[in-house]
Amino acid sequence: MSTQTISKSSTWGGGNSPFKISYGKLMMWIFLLSDAFTFSSLLVGYGAIRYSFPSTPQDQIENLNLSFGEDVQAKYAHGAADAGEHADHAEHFIPALRDAGVFSELQWPSPDLVFNHFPFLHGLHLPLIFVSLMTLILIASSVTMVLGVEAGQRMDQKGAAKWLFWTIVGGFAFLSCQAWEWTNFITAGATPWANPYGPPTFAALFFLVTGFHGFHVFSGVVLNIVAYLNVRKGTYEKRGHYEMVEKVGLYWHFVDLVWVFVFTFFYLI
Amino acid sequence: MSHANNNVDIHDEENYDPTVWVPKVHSHGTSDIWKRFWILLVLTVADVIAYFAVPPSMGRNVFFILMGILKAWFIVGTFMHMKHERKSLGYMIIIPMVLIIFLIFWLLFEGNFWGTFK
Repeated sequence: MSTQTISKSSTWGGGNSPFKISYGKLMMWIFLLSDAFTFSSLLVGYGAIRYSFPSTPQDQIENLNLSFGEDVQAKYAHGAADAGEHADHAEHFIPALRDAGVFSELQWPSPDLVFNHFPFLHGLHLPLIFVSLMTLILIASSVTMVLGVEAGQRMDQKGAAKWLFWTIVGGFAFLSCQAWEWTNFITAGATPWANPYGPPTFAALFFLVTGFHGFHVFSGVVLNIVAYLNVRKGTYEKRGHYEMVEKVGLYWHFVDLVWVFVFTFFYLI
Repeated sequence: MSHANNNVDIHDEENYDPTVWVPKVHSHGTSDIWKRFWILLVLTVADVIAYFAVPPSMGRNVFFILMGILKAWFIVGTFMHMKHERKSLGYMIIIPMVLIIFLIFWLLFEGNFWGTFK
């Protein structure tokens, strides 16, 4: 194949790259566009189903009188022996809120009341803080990735390896957070077909969309590890360019981009 | 493997070989990257503040979606290097996604309408 060359005539006349990028990078962009369609359909589907249910009325939430950082497990334990020490949502919190009519199959649960955990601060009502941390981790790992790409552009082998390493660490940190989030949701009794917080579709869509995204993060970490090993081995040094790091970087940034919208649709809206 | 062939010039424009050709790249420095990081951080914090300060409404949802698009702009533009690519590539990728934004808004209202049948 390397002997097959065509003489250059005009931008779209063949014999050159009309976009001035390599074949591999163009294909990565086209793949990302198609993957963006996939995620768009999932998120648009989520939005449509979410708004086919009424939201939890604001006055119902206000009547709970939950203040930020309050110990909700103890609040709903009513002096029980295990006053919230190791209790998860399923023990006191969900039954109390189901009795109050806040969690019901007829209305969409407020993400405030579903995702209000934070590691090592057991039982406290801390809505949105953990996912904001996850968002921060992913944005930070995007920055380390782009710094790795920049190091590659300067043919800086050590720099590229260093920044790729930190990107991999960020990827694992994010995956651990997601595993923890899933564990909480599952121990509370959620499955793809059952949801103690409200309509089962809420849990089904949560597992589908965050699972699909989490699998992309996992694939991205694997690609980053392969690129990292190749950087260390000197494969790209020998090749004369670090474009593979850029292509893996494009994928990694895309995963970050999707999370921005998962965060918007699942936790903010 | 074709890229192991040292006789081929990987940047050669005249004898273009699609299997190995890559454009010459140069670094744009790191100051731009860090600037975008701080912008993304501020936008995310602004989202969290709006979440706690403003009661839920369709207006707040529109705000969150617009903030998401703004964040996407910085991620695609700087981190994914799009602002340094040819415009034709940018249009090829961005125009289909702009159409998706319409789909998001339409289906949020459409979903609202489905709810009236329940």
